[in-house]
Amino acid sequence: MKLIKNQFHIPESLNAAKPPEIRNHSRADVRMMVLDSLTGKTDHNHFTQIGQYLQSGDLLVFNNSRTIPSHVKGYQDGNLVSIRLAKMISSNRWEALLINGKKKMGSVIRFEDHVEATINSLMNDGERVELVFSEKGIQLYDFLYRYGMPIRYEYINTPWPLHVYQTVYGSVPGSVEMTSAGRPFTWRLMKELKDKGVHQAFIQLHTGLSYYENDIWPNPEDQYEFFSVSDETAKTINDTKNKGGKIIAVGTTVVRALESAALAGSVEAKNGETNLYITENYPLQVVDGLITGLHEPEASHLHMLQAFVDKHLLLTAYEEAVREQYLWHEFGDMNFILPLGVK
Amino acid sequence: MKKVVMITGASKGLGRALAIAFAQAGYKLAICARGKETLTKVQSEIEQLGGEVIAVAADVSIEADVERFVSITELEYGQIDVLINNASIFGPGPSLLLDYPVNKFQNVLHVNIMNPFFVTRRVLPGMLTKGSGSIINVTSEAGKTGFSEWGAYGVSKFGLEGMTEIWADELEGTGVVMNMVDPGEMDTDMHKVAVPDCDYELQRPEDVMGVFFYLAETKADNGKRFEAGIYNESRKTT
Repeated sequence: MKLIKNQFHIPESLNAAKPPEIRNHSRADVRMMVLDSLTGKTDHNHFTQIGQYLQSGDLLVFNNSRTIPSHVKGYQDGNLVSIRLAKMISSNRWEALLINGKKKMGSVIRFEDHVEATINSLMNDGERVELVFSEKGIQLYDFLYRYGMPIRYEYINTPWPLHVYQTVYGSVPGSVEMTSAGRPFTWRLMKELKDKGVHQAFIQLHTGLSYYENDIWPNPEDQYEFFSVSDETAKTINDTKNKGGKIIAVGTTVVRALESAALAGSVEAKNGETNLYITENYPLQVVDGLITGLHEPEASHLHMLQAFVDKHLLLTAYEEAVREQYLWHEFGDMNFILPLGVK
Repeated sequence: MKKVVMITGASKGLGRALAIAFAQAGYKLAICARGKETLTKVQSEIEQLGGEVIAVAADVSIEADVERFVSITELEYGQIDVLINNASIFGPGPSLLLDYPVNKFQNVLHVNIMNPFFVTRRVLPGMLTKGSGSIINVTSEAGKTGFSEWGAYGVSKFGLEGMTEIWADELEGTGVVMNMVDPGEMDTDMHKVAVPDCDYELQRPEDVMGVFFYLAETKADNGKRFEAGIYNESRKTT
């Protein structure tokens, strides 16, 4: 599949290194580029004005997975190494990325409080390892919450604490990276939308790693993620569709979960793992619109966006976002893609 | 499915009595306290009763400890149905405000005001996304009447009562309710500090459970202040 790779460049000044509530006033203080998926026409607005593009009877679907402290430091053969947890396998086994360490089977990584992890195997992609921890369940969580940190990428130069990497509604811990598209929502904004008649529903999809460092990006087909769509959410989505309302996913994770639970144009309640890779020719069955951040040229998220909007229109809009100095990454500005005009 | 009750400050006094009573009634428990040893004892008692309990040593006046306690509970149980904000400290024994050490005054306010704020703020998203939940804040007669020499404790309970009313108002219509309970004077370690020369009979923490069970199950009340003694009396007459 052809990527947009290298067709646009993000100047360093557009990396959002600080959360908007530090840069400005509130987490909702970000800009929003509204992109009509039918015509490619763009509108530039403030995120708090999102209600202007939604109608009574539309449905926002949020991912309420909560970020866990998935970056922890330890010692391998006396050398400091970093572990980035990628996905839980069982109560004491995790897929993880080992940074500055040796992917040697049987090698032991030692952490604080005498906790240890043994490298059990190398995953198929040759990047991740399977770790077996000496603790499990509550004891392992307790260790992670005591000593772990949120994953921070190179454009972040301040050790922001874990609570900065949460959406206001995150309440099902399990994501190793923040489900960042929902970050600008405040309870006030959610209430305003509800008062306008815009319904809300929640799913869970626990995110894996979106980047492996050293310019290596995971292939979504190799990356299985846990997701859960409840009976109640499935029913709300199907009712909304039957009544002609739009289904708006807050984040690419929601698209991945809902399309994984799609059944002939509707959604069924489902819990499981998904490696669904949505690209330009994928026929979306459920989701009409998407609220998302702005993504790097190499990110697989961009492939998913092409399922919503023609890639040339997307590229033109992204070039405009760069010109307009939109901010990138999890603390940055937003892009709302939805069908508005007449084709 | 069994309801999950989270109780802060559950290693002794009212918190311990609540934990044991709710476990006996078949609820799943998530309890915390600063001291691991006494907390583990309560955990063992509950387990011996056949109860299901998560016990986490945590100081709920520290936001990171709250994140750890609540997240572990959500990871294990999936949800929290009832939160009882019980943890609080008295501070120095009887002292005139004029004699009250400033750092201790600040500490009592921080612990007694910030801990229910941190815990509630962290627990509420899970309740709001499922549209149900009950939060019960433990207050005191000293949160309604200014008693000489009860110092920062009294001030903090006035603050807690205001916070409960504000939050309850904001939660109106969400399916989540917040109320407060004044349990009355009880025979606890805290009471010994507050009233060192007490010469009258005190009730036991076990005597005031009824109102907490009522608030754990009802959605009829929001933003109300309950006195355990009056609640018990009204139950006798009905």
